[in-house]
Amino acid sequence: MPAKPSTDLYLADLQRRGLLSPDQAAAIAASESAQPFSLHYELRALLYLGITLLAGGLGVLVYQHIDSLGHGVIIAVIAALMAACFTYAARHRAPFTWAAAPRTSVGADYLLLLSCLLFVVLEGYVQYQYGIFGNRYGLATALPALVFLPLAYYFDHRGVLAMGLTALASWVGLTVAPLAVLTKNEFWNEHIRGAAMALGILFMAVGFYSEHQGRKAHFAFTYLLLGSNLALAALATSLMELGLQEQPALALSYVVVMLALCAGLFWYARRTQSYWFLVLAAGYAYFAVGYVLVEVVILLPHEIVFMTAFLLFPLSALLVVLFFINIRKILHGPTAPPHPPTSSPQA
Amino acid sequence: MKIPAYNTDWAFNAALRGRVARWQRQQLVGAEQRAAIEAAYPLEYYQPAWPLRVGLFVFTCIGLALASGFSLMITGVNSPFGAGILFCAACFVLLEFLIKEQRFYHAGVDNALLYSGLASAAGLIYYAFSEYLWPLRGGYHLDLGASYLVLLLVLALLAAAALRYADALVTAAACLAALLLVALFGLNSQFGQMLLPFIMMAAAGGLLLLYRRLAQRLAGTYLADYYANCLLTLKVLGLVVLYLAGNYLVVREGNAELHHQFTSSQIPFAPVFYALTAGIPLVYIVLGLRRADRTLLLLGLLALAFSLFTLRHYRSLLPPEVAAVAAGVLLTALASALLRALRPARFGLTSLPDDEPRHFNLENLIQAQTAHAPDAPSTGGFEFGGGHSGGGGATGQF
Repeated sequence: MPAKPSTDLYLADLQRRGLLSPDQAAAIAASESAQPFSLHYELRALLYLGITLLAGGLGVLVYQHIDSLGHGVIIAVIAALMAACFTYAARHRAPFTWAAAPRTSVGADYLLLLSCLLFVVLEGYVQYQYGIFGNRYGLATALPALVFLPLAYYFDHRGVLAMGLTALASWVGLTVAPLAVLTKNEFWNEHIRGAAMALGILFMAVGFYSEHQGRKAHFAFTYLLLGSNLALAALATSLMELGLQEQPALALSYVVVMLALCAGLFWYARRTQSYWFLVLAAGYAYFAVGYVLVEVVILLPHEIVFMTAFLLFPLSALLVVLFFINIRKILHGPTAPPHPPTSSPQA
Repeated sequence: MKIPAYNTDWAFNAALRGRVARWQRQQLVGAEQRAAIEAAYPLEYYQPAWPLRVGLFVFTCIGLALASGFSLMITGVNSPFGAGILFCAACFVLLEFLIKEQRFYHAGVDNALLYSGLASAAGLIYYAFSEYLWPLRGGYHLDLGASYLVLLLVLALLAAAALRYADALVTAAACLAALLLVALFGLNSQFGQMLLPFIMMAAAGGLLLLYRRLAQRLAGTYLADYYANCLLTLKVLGLVVLYLAGNYLVVREGNAELHHQFTSSQIPFAPVFYALTAGIPLVYIVLGLRRADRTLLLLGLLALAFSLFTLRHYRSLLPPEVAAVAAGVLLTALASALLRALRPARFGLTSLPDDEPRHFNLENLIQAQTAHAPDAPSTGGFEFGGGHSGGGGATGQF
């Protein structure tokens, strides 16, 4: 099997077009043939796997021998590990700025995350074993949020921010995570749904504020991702339960709020050139508009319902495809690279 | 009609620009020179970032599902044959149109059209056999004897489509059809059933041989980049099947399945399969390291993991938690030692990432910065007009 795809053809073609001098081509060819085989990612993956196996195995061993070890020892070990990780991260911290701080050390980033995870483990362990918070579960979930959110700003760490926001949301009464919203939580409770909407909108407001004012603008991504999924999923499930016929005013106001939030996401997507948020905004807006359309179509007489559905749904799929095809233009505005307008593929 | 459906310059230009970007990171080429090169090798096809490609694929599939219902409606429900032909033809016509006029290049829409067209064509072949040919022979069901011809036709169809559209999934489907054909031949006789693992290994070897011949034929031509994905698929499938066909667990459990045994029992030639299970991963890893072949190396590591799983499945040497701790210590120590030891390159291996300007060479840098970067020639692909100089993946932001 040929070892490496040869670069000869590229070099020859570049030289033929006069884009590369012969000396340079020779230097590149020499560099390519002398290039060692990089095992960087493979070794890192093995290291990661080894640490995971080690941690899992040790965890099980500790669990099996808990009687002979005693809880105090375990708590002390977790606390010591947490302190060590945190100290290392604090040592390698970049000075505080409102902009994105420069990365000083990759290890420090991960160790900070690890120390936060250990904090949660420690808290859970202490609560489970000694019941330190008693039945005040609110306090138990508020504490991580209170610790993590300042730490996220202090250390400029988006992972810790996401953990803090999740803790905050569970304090409010649910677990926030983009996927878990739809699978784990049933939005059975009117109150919880309202809280999710309010919290999601609050997160989004903070996100827009930080983006607009340049206060940790790169945190806006996390705020908006969590907040928009929370608020829009809560709104969407509310809509599904409500029905346009029963409570038209409330349902329509939900639709309007959804569309307004989607418009905000659209603004952010164009500002940061982010495809994720554009797709997110389009998806939820498609749902909201489709909901209204379905509710309207159902009102039609029976003979027409079938035909309209057959017409509308392929049409909506076609519209989405067109949207995706033109997404680049939508995202970057009409200042696309100049091309003859006659045969533009998207004309 | 040329064999490749897409413009072969697209793949070549994209690959060349990737190389030049890496050379610039390694400071072998200057920034201005890279800009001149990128102007001379434009990306004039439409291929958005991957989340968008997924979205396009999904929504095109939804649209096509509705369209197939529509084609059934207009041809009359009692003749799925006409609807199938209409749908298949429409898929391929639209596909060719999008490639020629709108320059779609593996953009999701064209993938969905290709798969739907091929699926409907394969369905038509099967339907034609089951409706018009098999009843004459008195058999309806998919028995082994009758399905050869169907599979052969499908295989020919898939191979032709892979040649024309250079799609990895279609190539994989063609390989699987070929392997299935071989497996059916083996299963049909008592002798073949016994030798099935070896027959499959031979078939996988045949795939690898085909890969090698094709790779050698294509090396150094403009088609090498066009078919790069197909060749990679061929190689990966060949290597995976070669390993799995010789794996003790697969052979033993497959044997039990074949003879309707409730629990699997020892197989004949067991030592041969022990040797293959242990040996093939090591061969893959060693060859991968010696030839600087990442595919071979990664498959070797995965195969090694599966071999260890095979071993533990039949002989548990240690309790799982102790084994996990021991393996974790071993892996951690080994990986961190290698990460340190290969910091300067040794034996042609390094633990540094690929793209860093590893040997910082002042001479190279000066040469690159002062090199004459001529204006992009005004000839080139631009006279097609139009073109979407997108290649959206380039921004790397979603």
